Amino acid sequence: MGPSRIRRYLLLLLLLAGFGTILFRLVTLQVLQAAELTARADRQHQKSVTLEGARGAVTDRHGKVLAMNMEVPSIFGVPTSLDSPASAARSLSPLLHIRRDEIEKKLRQDKHFVWLARKIEPEQGHRLERLSIDGIGVVMEGRRFYPKGPLLAHVLGFVGMDGLGLEGLERRYEAQLHGEKRVTILQRDALGRTVFPKGLREQVPAAGHALTLTIDEVIQYIAEKELEDAVNNARAKAGMIIVMEPQTGAILAMAVSPRFDPNTVAALTADRWRNRALTDTYEPGSTMKVVVAAAALEEKVMMPGSMLFGENGRMTIANTTIHDHEKLGWMTFAQMIQKSSNIGAAKTGMLLGEQRMYRYLQAFGFGQRTEIDLPGEVGGLLKPPREWGRRSLASISMGQEVGVTPLQMVSAISAIANDGVLMKPYVVSEVRDQKGQPLKNVLPQVKRRVVSPDTARTLTTILEGVVTNGTGTKASIPGFRVAGKTGTAQKVDPRTGTYSSTLSIGSFVGFVPTDAPRLAMIIVIDEPQGESWGGVVAAPVFRRVGEQVLTYLGVSRDDQVKIAMAAR
Amino acid sequence: MKAITIIAGMCLVFVFVWERVDVVRLGYHIERLKTQKVLLERERDQLQVKFSALTAPERIARVATDKLGLVPPQQGQVFIIHPQPAAPVLATPSVEQMRVARSIPPTRGEK
Repeated sequence: MGPSRIRRYLLLLLLLAGFGTILFRLVTLQVLQAAELTARADRQHQKSVTLEGARGAVTDRHGKVLAMNMEVPSIFGVPTSLDSPASAARSLSPLLHIRRDEIEKKLRQDKHFVWLARKIEPEQGHRLERLSIDGIGVVMEGRRFYPKGPLLAHVLGFVGMDGLGLEGLERRYEAQLHGEKRVTILQRDALGRTVFPKGLREQVPAAGHALTLTIDEVIQYIAEKELEDAVNNARAKAGMIIVMEPQTGAILAMAVSPRFDPNTVAALTADRWRNRALTDTYEPGSTMKVVVAAAALEEKVMMPGSMLFGENGRMTIANTTIHDHEKLGWMTFAQMIQKSSNIGAAKTGMLLGEQRMYRYLQAFGFGQRTEIDLPGEVGGLLKPPREWGRRSLASISMGQEVGVTPLQMVSAISAIANDGVLMKPYVVSEVRDQKGQPLKNVLPQVKRRVVSPDTARTLTTILEGVVTNGTGTKASIPGFRVAGKTGTAQKVDPRTGTYSSTLSIGSFVGFVPTDAPRLAMIIVIDEPQGESWGGVVAAPVFRRVGEQVLTYLGVSRDDQVKIAMAAR
Repeated sequence: MKAITIIAGMCLVFVFVWERVDVVRLGYHIERLKTQKVLLERERDQLQVKFSALTAPERIARVATDKLGLVPPQQGQVFIIHPQPAAPVLATPSVEQMRVARSIPPTRGEK
């Protein structure tokens, strides 16, 4: 074998070794590691993003925005990509208003991703982008805004950091409001730019449905302002107001004092954001006499002119004494209501009897939820007659031993204003899709007839007397006929379990104008200091709210109508 | 014949390559427009929030009373005038009619 032949074999061997190595590498890459490498390539070329449609807006009856979503920046860090966590934390701290050591601690974690601040102001995001720190990024997330601040907060509720409705309408209508969630694969080029979705076209996830409310933001503002003033003036613990359209059950305004701002709920407790107008019960006191009177008139147990003896202000029932706020002698049934006699109401209740009393209380909606479209509503406390004591009939007749919500009470007075027909209260009047097309129209819903139109009209006349020359004169609105009833109830002292001599609830419930009612309203002032009569602390709120709202609605005063008719 | 086939083949290849390049170019363009749309929508939402906040009744009342010195109307100061539907609606006069009307001198007592 000559040297040239050896060289040829060596060359051949080298070539074979080279090709063999290449072949081995090819088999390794293309066959053995194919799945892993394909996945790695996909990770580099493709970007998986979860897109979420915007949460639906909430507007008042005139389309004024009360809640809407807006995209705002959220800041994240990639600790594994950071050169100097300390330096990054130093730059970020003044911008995010978070302590430097807190940021640094997060950035030193052995993680690929940490949130540093979520849903911050857009300007903060712009400034951070200008800093351009490696390992710190900005993503846009939907944030819920309540542009009117505390207005209607107890009804609207709020959403959590992840956009889920936690309270109020946000919670009740979560299924309708939240936007569609969809994971989309985007292609990226060598520079990391998004090229085109993998499919033919990217489907934008649908936005949530929008809600139109029965609430009128101007009426809501008037109600909130006057309630707040009344609560402050009376140095009360809290207050509630509901304004309802008697013929439909539509809620025009619903407020609780003290208010809160749903844009900044993090620092507040549930006690502050609970919608007490439907979650809390109270003993209504004399406002319950409206229901007792309606039952007595309907059952013909009493007529407006029927005579009752007031026992000179003291009467003993079941070894307990019932008092009136003044020594009353003989009086008509109508005067009994106007003067708010407890003894007269107790006597009327006893004439009605347990079963009829219970039947009418149930018919007016007490002891059961009104089924309003808001979360957290309670049904109140109404025991069946078999659990009543010897004094219960008298007590219930004057609004004790029964727990009601302000919503139940305003629904009951609305039934009187509505010729005896009880309506289901509601807050959402329409659900619309993202293009504004109506998906659901909520129509007024009749629950049942509770008394005849004659009874309702007779009782209305009696209740007008409460405002013209009874306990509710401070509720009178010049130029309008008002019907209503005051209520002052002692609260049970949680320490002693007996009625407190200092803690009370003053309330007023009524409607206006009586000939063609436009508004039914309840005002409840919880634990007012000083004078606590419903006619003193709550009735004036009815007048101030009623006066402004009737003007806003363009309802003419009686005297102006007469002037206009005379001028024709 | 052979040359024509080669040229036709090259043309096809060229069209194919050009189409792919154009798809990528359009992809970038669409992406830019989408980004622009998102930014505009974001701006619209920001303006909507701002508008809603500025038109809040509470703010308007504050500006009216604190800045402009206005006060709420007192009892009896508000008169609601409802339009009289009985009055017939007059047809809008033509330009010629208006010219004629202007040329008529005012009667005694008119200013």
